[in-house]
Amino acid sequence: MQKTVRRKRRSGIWPYLLLAPAMIIMLSVVVVPIINAVGMSFQNYNLVKPNKMGWIGLGNYQKLLTNDPQFWKSLWRTVVWVFFGVGGQFLFGFMLALLLNKEFKGRGVIRAVSLIPWVTPGVLIALMWSWMFDGNYGVINDILLKLGIISDKIAFLAKKDSAMPSVIITIIWQGIPFFALMILAGLQGIPADLYEAAAIDGATGWQKLYYVTIPSLRNTIFVTTMLRVIWVANSVDVIFNMTGGGPAYATQTLSVYVYNKASALDMGYASAMALMLMLVLLLVAIPYLRANFRDQEG
Amino acid sequence: MKKFLALALAAMMCLSMVSLASADDVTIKFWFWADNDAYAQTMQEMIADFNATNGKGITVVGEQQDWNGGEYSNNLLTAAIGGGAPDVATFKLTATPAFVNNGQLANLDEFIANWADKDQINENLYNTMKQASGTDSIYVMPWNTQVLYVYYRPSMFEAAGIGVPTTYEEFLEDCKKLTHDGVYGFGMRGSNGGQEPWGCFLYAGGGDWEHMDSEGAIKGMQDYIDLYKNGYVPETAPNDGFSQVIDNFKSGLTAMTIHHIGSSAQMIETFGDDVDAFIFPKGEGQWTSMGDTETVMFESCANKEAAFEWMAYLATGKGQETWCTVTGNVPVAARVQALPQFQENKFMKVSIEGASVAGILPVRDTTTQWIKDWPGVIQQALLGDITAEECMKQLQAAMWEE
Amino acid sequence: MNEKKPLSRILLLWVPLVLFLIFLLFPFYWTLVTSLKTDAELHSLTVRYWPTQPTLQAYEHLFGSYNFLHPMKNSLIVAAITTVVSLTVSTLAAYAFSRFRFAGRKPLMLLFLTNNMFPTVLLLIPLFTIMRQIKLLYTPWALVLSYTTFTIPFSVWLLNGYLNDLPISMEEAAMIDGADRATAFVKIVLPVLLPCLLATGVYIFMQSWNEYTFAVLFTNEANRTIPVSLKMLVGQLGVQWDLITAGGIITVIPVCIMFFFAQKRLVAGLTAGAVKG
Repeated sequence: MQKTVRRKRRSGIWPYLLLAPAMIIMLSVVVVPIINAVGMSFQNYNLVKPNKMGWIGLGNYQKLLTNDPQFWKSLWRTVVWVFFGVGGQFLFGFMLALLLNKEFKGRGVIRAVSLIPWVTPGVLIALMWSWMFDGNYGVINDILLKLGIISDKIAFLAKKDSAMPSVIITIIWQGIPFFALMILAGLQGIPADLYEAAAIDGATGWQKLYYVTIPSLRNTIFVTTMLRVIWVANSVDVIFNMTGGGPAYATQTLSVYVYNKASALDMGYASAMALMLMLVLLLVAIPYLRANFRDQEG
Repeated sequence: MKKFLALALAAMMCLSMVSLASADDVTIKFWFWADNDAYAQTMQEMIADFNATNGKGITVVGEQQDWNGGEYSNNLLTAAIGGGAPDVATFKLTATPAFVNNGQLANLDEFIANWADKDQINENLYNTMKQASGTDSIYVMPWNTQVLYVYYRPSMFEAAGIGVPTTYEEFLEDCKKLTHDGVYGFGMRGSNGGQEPWGCFLYAGGGDWEHMDSEGAIKGMQDYIDLYKNGYVPETAPNDGFSQVIDNFKSGLTAMTIHHIGSSAQMIETFGDDVDAFIFPKGEGQWTSMGDTETVMFESCANKEAAFEWMAYLATGKGQETWCTVTGNVPVAARVQALPQFQENKFMKVSIEGASVAGILPVRDTTTQWIKDWPGVIQQALLGDITAEECMKQLQAAMWEE
Repeated sequence: MNEKKPLSRILLLWVPLVLFLIFLLFPFYWTLVTSLKTDAELHSLTVRYWPTQPTLQAYEHLFGSYNFLHPMKNSLIVAAITTVVSLTVSTLAAYAFSRFRFAGRKPLMLLFLTNNMFPTVLLLIPLFTIMRQIKLLYTPWALVLSYTTFTIPFSVWLLNGYLNDLPISMEEAAMIDGADRATAFVKIVLPVLLPCLLATGVYIFMQSWNEYTFAVLFTNEANRTIPVSLKMLVGQLGVQWDLITAGGIITVIPVCIMFFFAQKRLVAGLTAGAVKG
């Protein structure tokens, strides 16, 4: 690709000056709390038992790696949650972006209302979806019954096999507009002449998508997906407010587990788990980053 | 020009007078949560009343905080540890160890000892407060209580040809009899906060909080599981919290459910006369949960006398009467309990009747975690992942470890 | 476009679009219906798709005694400031990452990324202390500052991604023609980047408009934002469904209207840039 050819410039102090405002704002706020959290992970740090606090080295890590089956199960659930959650968001978001990029009557209005899931306050999303999934009054049961797809009401959120799919559908719903908007914005930067050239070569719609659209958006796709993976892996509110991680831990992802521990004030153990989650996310991100950096260096 | 000067002078004088007056004033910052916006408004009216009538220049500034399923206590603790605690706050007893252990709460012993209204509050209640702190001191001021009892629908009982159960066995039997045509006998709370109604089963089966792995306790758990497995409770039970349990009862989906007097106002609004209550019947043992709301004063409070005035107003003064009348909670002050509106209320009668068997969860430094763990463990048992025995062993170990 | 082939247009555009809209909008519709229902009807076991006696009581109450306009104003202030601040500093930083090669570039980029990986719930106590010490607690700035900590890293990466996808040739051409870097940035890059800045801005706005965890701790009654105000409608006695859903509807509408006007800029920026340049 032409854009990967990029001249290296010795640029002195400029990049640092440009970075300074962002760094200063961000670091001034989070440095102390994050160091604090890392410190807590090496301590027995339970706010209910301040008299028993103290440094225990790798004690928390040892416990969660060797002596806490819920940790590994929660990690696995995080993988499922992120894979299907972000995968669904991306797939449908991409499709929606392509649709919204076409010209048609009422496009502005449809673009605006497509954003609704994302605008809806998080506190309401979980409430509304658990209300719709409700096993007694839920509209989803009612629709499925009327369509003859099911013959009895299903307690979606109270059954182990349906709880996870239910929360995943909710997070997909919430995230589609994000991808749609980000990809739609990226689409505007693709030079029209690339499509024209492809058309001259006799490319079909699918070929244009595969040979022009996707390669031109590769950085955008890569970045949005990676950021979304991090975001969804860390998200708590949908699961917490819909199922509380239940029933019987069926929807307890690692971040929900961390949240539960933290709200029981066991900060040391929660921090250790959070750092493990961070490590896992980094391990996932690094191959991506490498490919990306290599690509840019040309 | 002269006019202007005179005006400016007058304005300055007014200002200085205001600031003079406020020099003697004491401001008390008060945090509270409210269960709906009408209650929040009531609280603000009470604050206005106190500010107008206390006669000591005390101004309470009330700020409503989000309850957020109990996260309120954690937010309060975060603020306190971060140095930004209010002077007085409403409080839940289960949070006491965390606050006392961190030295955040003011010791109320002196204030209570010198308090004219001290004897308005039952000695037992003071003892519960001491027990919760794990010390011999009182850090938490009683405000109002809610005893859990069983709500039931007389019309459904009549249709099923049964009366109010007098024994635990009868109760279980009635759950079965009341279940038919999409109506469930009992509304079970298998999610957050369900440990309190569940405690009734624990004791009725023959267990207690100290011996959750005893044979009786396991039997109580097995009964609990069987209610779910046999379909006498809604299938949604493992994920049902307080709001679902109340909603299911109000919609007529369940014939009985366990809650406290706080919801009686909406029950009467929905059903009129077709709702009544009884205390969870005795089996091998009997217990019910005494829910509670208290107030606390923070150690960081600069004007502790003034803060205590406000706490006293809530505990035994006009505030006690107003709050309990509006919310329907059980008053702690004897004077207020004796008022006719409380004496004639049938739900209040049941609550007071239940007070003799009502207790609280053991308040230990493991309790916070135990409450968080409860739903997961119970759901595993309900859904058949673990047996009643395994379930009770886990709960016992989690509460009493070390 | 392809007006000649109406059938394929229906199949490839309208059918999927309608399916999408049903999925995306049904929960919103359901929120609306819930806000119009009476309490008795809400918990009736027969599901009704339109209330038998629609009532606007919830809305009257919300704007009357509940004073919902107040948290809306607060949310708007916080979201607007956060958007302007984050977008400005992130654009500069993203430009540096994308167009310069300098020592420490990769570690710094990684630092921005990891910042988003840590759950906020564990940062609350020290953050509260910091906010109190620098006297920002209970001002909108406490929220702005804490929101920028997750919107900046996100926006920097996002904009960096967009910038890397933009052809660099025009910029270089301008610089060869003698324009300095700043002029090239303003005249060439910014117009092309506009749709992406808009999308990123919407992202930042949305995050700060809807954030709950920090808001519940760092605000008091005077500057409480929408999510906290809504969440207060869930007490120990149940959910005040009518009010909370009405609040949701009210929250969504102004943002959608704002976006309706903004999205007109979401058109091929390249042509616009070429014309101006």
